[in-house]
Amino acid sequence: MSTVLENLVNQPYKHGFVTEIESETAPKGLSEDTIRLISAKKNEPEWLLEFRLSAYRHWLTMPEPAWPNVKYPKIDFQDIIYYSAPKPKKLASMDEVDPELLRTFEKLGVPMNERAKLAGVAVDVIFDSVSVATTYKQKLAEVGIIFCSISEAVREHPELVRKYLGTVVPPGDNFYAALNTAVFTDGSFCFIPRGVKCPMELSTYFRINTESSGQFERTLIIAEEGASVSYLEGCTAPKFDTNQLHAAVVELVALDHADIKYSTVQNWYAGDEKGVGGIYNFVTKRGLCKGVNSKISWTQVETGSAITWKYPSCVLLGDNSIGEFYSVALTNHHQQADTGTKMVHIGRNTKSTIISKGISAGHSNNSYRGLVRIAPKAEGARNYSQCDSMLIGSQCGANTFPYIQVHNDTAKVEHEATTSKIGEDQLFYFQSRGIGAEEAVSMIINGFCKEVFRQLPMEFAVEATKLLGLKLEGSVG
Amino acid sequence: MTTVATARHPYIEALLQNYETPHGGVSWLNERRSAALERANSLAVPTTRDEDWRFTDISPLTKLHFQPAAEAPRLSLADLSHYFIGEAAGRLVFVDGLFAPDLSATDDLPAGVQVSNLAECLKNHGALIEPHLARHVPFGDNLFAALNTCYLRDGALVRIAKDLVRAAPVHLLFVSTRPEIATYPRCLVIAENGSECTVIEDYVGLTDGVYVNNSVTEISVAANARVRHVKLQREGGGSFHIANCGVSLAKDSAYASHTVTLGARMSRHDLNVVLQGEGAAARIDGLALISGRQLADTHTLLDHAKPNGKSVQIHKCIVGGAAHAVFNGKVLVREGAQLTDSAQESRNLLLSSRAHVDTKPQLEIFADDVKCSHGATVGQLDAEQVFYLKSRGLSETRARSLLTYAFGAEIIDRIPVPSLVARLERIVLDQTAAQA
Repeated sequence: MSTVLENLVNQPYKHGFVTEIESETAPKGLSEDTIRLISAKKNEPEWLLEFRLSAYRHWLTMPEPAWPNVKYPKIDFQDIIYYSAPKPKKLASMDEVDPELLRTFEKLGVPMNERAKLAGVAVDVIFDSVSVATTYKQKLAEVGIIFCSISEAVREHPELVRKYLGTVVPPGDNFYAALNTAVFTDGSFCFIPRGVKCPMELSTYFRINTESSGQFERTLIIAEEGASVSYLEGCTAPKFDTNQLHAAVVELVALDHADIKYSTVQNWYAGDEKGVGGIYNFVTKRGLCKGVNSKISWTQVETGSAITWKYPSCVLLGDNSIGEFYSVALTNHHQQADTGTKMVHIGRNTKSTIISKGISAGHSNNSYRGLVRIAPKAEGARNYSQCDSMLIGSQCGANTFPYIQVHNDTAKVEHEATTSKIGEDQLFYFQSRGIGAEEAVSMIINGFCKEVFRQLPMEFAVEATKLLGLKLEGSVG
Repeated sequence: MTTVATARHPYIEALLQNYETPHGGVSWLNERRSAALERANSLAVPTTRDEDWRFTDISPLTKLHFQPAAEAPRLSLADLSHYFIGEAAGRLVFVDGLFAPDLSATDDLPAGVQVSNLAECLKNHGALIEPHLARHVPFGDNLFAALNTCYLRDGALVRIAKDLVRAAPVHLLFVSTRPEIATYPRCLVIAENGSECTVIEDYVGLTDGVYVNNSVTEISVAANARVRHVKLQREGGGSFHIANCGVSLAKDSAYASHTVTLGARMSRHDLNVVLQGEGAAARIDGLALISGRQLADTHTLLDHAKPNGKSVQIHKCIVGGAAHAVFNGKVLVREGAQLTDSAQESRNLLLSSRAHVDTKPQLEIFADDVKCSHGATVGQLDAEQVFYLKSRGLSETRARSLLTYAFGAEIIDRIPVPSLVARLERIVLDQTAAQA
């Protein structure tokens, strides 16, 4: 049986190819000059340069965090290219997009011109740090939604960017957030004005392309009073042997009665079976429920990256605000994941739900690390957490580190965790009903993750189900 | 040759200022003490920046530079009689860290049960003690265990001979009478193959002044043996209590721990249980009942090193006033420890708006065919339950006190010493009534 399962998991990375596009690239290394160069290239206002520089100066004083349950060789921050952009070119229509680039998306199975229309999704494509194509902008603009790259937002809506940038993740928040603030090149900006329900799912595809160019994305989503939006982020990256650092920062702000749903499917290159190569995914994601009755919901399916280190969090500041976190993290071969969430209850009657499913196979290590903090003034706060782990094979590890800090006696906090494996008897039952081991495993895993997949938008749910099956091929037994 | 690090923390410097290396005695023990001294000299003092001490700030403790007492005041049996336990067959009493033979009682012990002070035993039974003493609580990276070990002069020894079962409980009573003293209590329990015993480790404070207890308890459970360990911490209100307990379980052995934490201004209890043999079983119960400005920190590790191990843990905290309870329970299933079955629960009851709890159950699993779960809850008394009792004619205060008591009684009722159960139930009922 184990051989069947092993064959199942060891499928090579399907999205491993390098697109040759001429890139305009900054020299390797990080200094104030690099930051000035990035800022100048992007024609940024003075305050943003100062913002970057202050973050950089703070970063210099910070030690690299050592507490995550992951191991990797020391990163040489001077050996990274901090800016690389496809040649600047004005695009009037999709026809003018570099055909090479379009082919890349086709190989990825994202024929954006088709898919965008068919799925009704506005795709803001980020290709190595600079947005080269934006669709559906017009339609969104009609209802007053601003959806563009963050560089464009800095040019067109500096007052909004200045008002919100760094308010959820301050420049000196943590080592990688500070680094990101200093050198971020691009990302998405989304602003939903008062009372507007976004008429479509917003989505962005991130790709890491130029070899050894770290990607420092910055995403800022603001939902004003009564607004609501669902944002999708999907990731794939080509195959490289040198590790690539990815340190993104995502900030969400929800004002009174606003609702933000942020979904991620992450399938970056995880390294080969021996653990060589792969992306380091060190991300800071945080949402601020600033207003009353606001809601932020994170859903993530993490299957890629050599190392995943991220904690999409909710700060529940407004009374009656709601935070949710639904996660599936799958690790195989030598992947390492230390992921989870933070729910910080500050306002009264705030509620949070955490559902985390970890699956480890091969020699991988999968940790859930979560914090539920009930501040002294958070009367009537409520949290429910459930963290389940599944182990496939005897060489892998699954860890759970939930931190629960309660400073208010009216709070109700519940945490549950279990660890299990796919039982021989379960597989036998499926097989006795004529279902092969491979399919049985896939069905059991899908059942295990169902609570999370249910939260994903339709087309993502389908993709995620397939992805999990693909990732686990050959590892169950 | 030991080199003493030059940049010592002033706290360690002060604690060790009058340290005298003991002369004579058995050489293996001298070696262990000097190794511990070396570690104590080179280890850093933990701060809240260390993950293990994140929620417990020991800076008030590090300002105290108390020394061990040279002599103890004379107490009479009558002074302590209400702490004695009727069922106990043997009793060792230590006053301010010093063995008090007059207060101890070891005459009624059955053959095969050895209960005596370590210093005495080392003279005749050194070979029996050597494989165990300072072996089950490693001091390599544990400052308090290192300090205790280098100050190891005496302690309590309980040894149960092979296949001896149904022995009456043994009571180890550590009494602190005066402020401004540091004591380093030490217990060693050796349960030989197939034996069975109950040990009550009891800390009592007769003063509300400030004193420091830094204890180490080592328990070795041989194959098929069974040890029940009751730890009662009722230190004085101004005291600091730091305890390290290490338990090693051999094949098919069983260990049950019942820890009740009531006293001390600040207490920390580290319990590490290693299931070293196949098929070992551990059951760990804990109850902390604190109020005022007390802090009670419990760290436990259930280390499943071999297959077929079973562990069950339930830890409860009842926190009133502006008290602070900390629980960190780690279950580690090592590679190859298949068919491990482990369940852990952390239940916390907050009685006041200023009370707070930090709980962190932890699972680290490196084997796939295991069943592990943990749960944690923090909450308050159920308003409907209070209402129900009031509808039956109980006052609000009585209702709340009764429900709080019931929450704690689950742990107390399982203690295998009936007179202690009755006494603890009384204490819990009184305390909860005072708080409700």
